[in-house]
Amino acid sequence: MRRIAIYGKGGIGKSTTAANVTAALCDRGLKVLQIGCDPKSDSTKLLIGGKGIETVLDVYRRDSDIDLGSVVRRGYGGSLCVECGGPKPGQGCAGKGIIMAFELLEKRDVIKEFEPDVILYDVLGDVVCGGFAMPIRNGYARDVFVVTSGEMMSLYAASNIAEAVRGFEGDGYARLGGLIQNSRNVTDESELIDNAASEMSLDVIFRLERDPVVQECEAKGMTVVEGSPDSNMAAAYRSLAEKILLLTEDAEGGMRI
Amino acid sequence: MRPMHPRPNPIVAAMYTLRDMEVDVIVVHGPSGCGFMASRMLEEAGIRVLASGMTDNDLVFGGADSLVETLKMAKERFNPGTVAIVGTCASSVIGEDTDMCIKRADIGCKVFSVFSHGCMKDNTEGAIKAIEAGCDAGIIDPAEAERQIAVMKAATALERERGMAARQYLEPVRGPTKLNIARKINETLASGGRITAVMIAKKELAYRFADIFLALKEASDALGGEVFSVANLDKNKGLPRIRRYAEDICSELEFRGVRIDRVIGGLDEYALIGEEIREAAEASDPDLLIICGIPHAYPQIPSDAILITDQPRQLANYLDKGHNAVGEISSHSMVMGTRKIISLETGDTIRDLLRDAG
Repeated sequence: MRRIAIYGKGGIGKSTTAANVTAALCDRGLKVLQIGCDPKSDSTKLLIGGKGIETVLDVYRRDSDIDLGSVVRRGYGGSLCVECGGPKPGQGCAGKGIIMAFELLEKRDVIKEFEPDVILYDVLGDVVCGGFAMPIRNGYARDVFVVTSGEMMSLYAASNIAEAVRGFEGDGYARLGGLIQNSRNVTDESELIDNAASEMSLDVIFRLERDPVVQECEAKGMTVVEGSPDSNMAAAYRSLAEKILLLTEDAEGGMRI
Repeated sequence: MRPMHPRPNPIVAAMYTLRDMEVDVIVVHGPSGCGFMASRMLEEAGIRVLASGMTDNDLVFGGADSLVETLKMAKERFNPGTVAIVGTCASSVIGEDTDMCIKRADIGCKVFSVFSHGCMKDNTEGAIKAIEAGCDAGIIDPAEAERQIAVMKAATALERERGMAARQYLEPVRGPTKLNIARKINETLASGGRITAVMIAKKELAYRFADIFLALKEASDALGGEVFSVANLDKNKGLPRIRRYAEDICSELEFRGVRIDRVIGGLDEYALIGEEIREAAEASDPDLLIICGIPHAYPQIPSDAILITDQPRQLANYLDKGHNAVGEISSHSMVMGTRKIISLETGDTIRDLLRDAG
């Protein structure tokens, strides 16, 4: 099983990228469990027709005797979709929510139940506290990719995330797989990202061009891989998925290595 | 240097300070087990303690509902005049807005909130937060609040300089029996010597340490010798509850024929009065000096003095430094809620020896 985390600044196209990668991996016959780690709970939306799903924390709050069937939804291509969820904005602690959602999924043995080939964690923006760092700690994710554009704040967030992952690398946890460029039509975008990547000693593993087909499919509640499979963009997502498979470790074990 | 033995807790310090300010109900906003031992002790002293009982869910989604519900229950059940909410690690880490909860609960009595949590380093920080909150709520006046804060800071400085906070690790001990020091005390009196007994006690613990004066009175009545007494029993210092302790103890002592020769400072001032007490004790030129309560508040303790304390670790600290010390272990749980002097093991040993001598 591969344990992959996708990080990146909020709004940079992280969830779109994650959902398209999941769809592409499912198309080539892999069983992918995508876990959204963002209280907005919109990571897996494009895999299930644009609808939201009930989150792990919502279900748990109602009934602590949580049943996996009520929090794991089947999406496009047999993908397994989970949203951790979180508190109302401005209340409680979203980071602690992620920790609790992981504990619940592990306790209910989501891996044994569904036997995925890939777990893909889609994690909110910057590493703001221990809770959001959860996927890169405790042996959950093995390979971390950071989605970024050439915008200053996005690169800044990428650098923070890289620093966080490196901080835990010595403990045998996650390792950095590289940057994924999600282009935003910034002037000299590739050059800016290349420079930042070399400062972080990271590779840019893939460049996704900006293409209106992404928005068009999103409006239909679909990934590009599903909604426009013959487009160049779908081909790009499929290549990115191949690249990720190439760069990640396939290791035995449960939710944690 | 950071002490690694268990240290007193800022949340609990805030709770005790609220008791001193005579709050009717304390609501601990946190897990139901937080401050459990202290809560039980405070209940013995007549304070109502409730917990909002935060769970994992409250950590994630916020504990406002649990707190509002607990405040409403406090009102229904106890109809209190004053309620104080005490913050814990759990509620403060998630930044709970307790003032908002007070408004939402709207229980029609004085309710205020203390921003305390466990990671404030010194326990007195929690006590200071309680004082400040009590002052803002108008239950103590600003001059007293300022005085209280100065007292707390002095106590922290004393602990860091000479107390348990000055040591990285101390193993708690029970110490020797009281037989040797009781013999020494009785022999000194029997040979016509002068004993100076100093009590530098902290708040309610004076209900126990004051027994030294009663025991010495009985011993000198039977054996002769002289006793000079110094104690921090000023009835005009501190919060009303603390003044009441001094009043209780002084009237009981007086009733039983003991007059304190020098009263220096109030029961909350142990950290401020060491020097003055030492001067008074030295001026009395004793053959034997006894210091009880918080002996390290007394600067440059003479090596032949007898020290009596209540904390097993404090006792270890004194024995470690070569002092002649005994421990009145578990005194605190005995004095909670009492209005009468409770005999010391040291006092009872002195009395036993008197009886044996016939």
